[in-house]
Amino acid sequence: MAARDLVTVARFDARLFWRDRTALGTSVTLFLVLGVGLPVMMDRLQPGRPEFVAAQHVGILSMLLVLATFGQAATTLTTRREQLLLKRLRATGLADRDILGGGILNLVLQNTLLTAVVSVALYALTSLPVPRDPLLFLVAVVAGAAVLCLLGTAFTPLIPRPELAGVMAMPFFLLAGVGAGGFGPLTEMLPGWVSTLLGLLPTDAIADIARIAYAADGTFGGDLAAAAGPALKLAVWAAIGFFALTRWFRWDPRKQ
Amino acid sequence: MTAILVDGLRKHYGDFAAVRDVSFDVSQGEVFALLGRNGAGKTTTLEVLAGFAAPDAGTVRVLGLDPVKDRTEVRRSCGIMLQEAGFFPDLTVAQTVDAWRDFVAAPRPRDEALEMTGLTAKTGTKVRQLSGGEKRRLDLALAILSRPDVLFLDEPTTGMDPEARRNTWDVIRDLAGQGTTVLLTTHYLEEAQRLASRMAIMDHGEVVASGGMAETLAAQTGRVAFELPGAVTPEELPLPPSSVEGRTAVYRIADPDLAARTLLNWAGERGLRLHGLEVRTATLEDLFLDLAADADGRPENEHAKEVA
Repeated sequence: MAARDLVTVARFDARLFWRDRTALGTSVTLFLVLGVGLPVMMDRLQPGRPEFVAAQHVGILSMLLVLATFGQAATTLTTRREQLLLKRLRATGLADRDILGGGILNLVLQNTLLTAVVSVALYALTSLPVPRDPLLFLVAVVAGAAVLCLLGTAFTPLIPRPELAGVMAMPFFLLAGVGAGGFGPLTEMLPGWVSTLLGLLPTDAIADIARIAYAADGTFGGDLAAAAGPALKLAVWAAIGFFALTRWFRWDPRKQ
Repeated sequence: MTAILVDGLRKHYGDFAAVRDVSFDVSQGEVFALLGRNGAGKTTTLEVLAGFAAPDAGTVRVLGLDPVKDRTEVRRSCGIMLQEAGFFPDLTVAQTVDAWRDFVAAPRPRDEALEMTGLTAKTGTKVRQLSGGEKRRLDLALAILSRPDVLFLDEPTTGMDPEARRNTWDVIRDLAGQGTTVLLTTHYLEEAQRLASRMAIMDHGEVVASGGMAETLAAQTGRVAFELPGAVTPEELPLPPSSVEGRTAVYRIADPDLAARTLLNWAGERGLRLHGLEVRTATLEDLFLDLAADADGRPENEHAKEVA
């Protein structure tokens, strides 16, 4: 029953998402334009340097995932909370975990698909090769999107109004861009402690795992060993998100 | 069998005591009304029963289950019409009902739910284009979709036109006839009287009257008022008024027609006119004024009871 409900909610959320022009503008159009555009530009500026394209691709991807998962989950859920839609959904027989989990499932699937579109476009348009370990790349995207959705959901109690959700998610988008290399290798110009702090972000973990998947050399065992650190970082963020969610999530605009 | 049990319920929001020591029970297949003005604690009581908020103290059971601990199980057997809940504005009525049919087990067919709530003509209309009363009806359609054993209705007919209100009452009565337990909150005396077999009147978070007493109070829903003519004193009137507010004599009685006829005959015989004569059904507000007056021990109310 639970799995069925989870899929039902995910499907319902997908239907609403594709009708929502604002969501399509930021979470789809911007994702595709920047996700393809910036690495293509990098490839044109420095032709024949696939490692630069890969770094740019992985960096911008981590950043866009913040927008399309963390930001999107925060915006959708704050809007639904304030419009008493979460309350309405809760009045059905659906379990709380299915209402939130269905939304997360939808965003994870959508973003995995969008990442696939961006990646394929880049393989066709630039010197970027297919990742050496495609499965690991997939794991980075799926796990990364899921953790970011969870954090976006857990972030909503801090957002007083839906209009503020986008603005309040923006710092995380920018930090992800600086940390994961979406804006280029900025961390090299920053003091070491800043890089260390930025390295703690979940988006850095996503970028790290993706980089391992794209690295020219490596073995399956070596990849797993290298990915263990960033994977642990993601797991810690997931635990933080889950704890905050169970503790502070608000279904109702009224404070209990 | 007891379908709903509330025993010593208390619920605070910060420093505000929304519900203080409320107890009542509802048998299976019964329609029970919680009557009260805005802020009386009706909605809070209902939200605790529906598992939206945990009680601070007291016991609450729905079909023998704890609405907070066994929330999912309770929700599957309950239909809930919240006083305030949003809709997805860009979905049509049909799309909304279809989506909700996916959320519940063994749902009613969409057309049946829309027919029952009189929304068939609005099937293709976007929810944002519905009137307040139509949204209320859609709310009811969603609440009854799962053929629930227990139906919670929070002010179900607020914003409806008279026809829709009567239609909604019919739906509620039919469902109760089929064995559905209904707990409804309302601030319409008439609604409580027409639908409920038992009722409790709430005020400031407490039950101030329940069972027979509440019914007696709700029965005193007639109100006749007029300006005392010229030099006439209240004592000269053929019926002693419940109260005199300035120069206005007010009666609160079960049969306002009879009282009005008696008074008009009396005035006619004396060539007097009853200016500003008003004969109407009392509101809950009138009833509470009565209750307050009773608490003050104003002697006029003794007369009102004699008339009633």
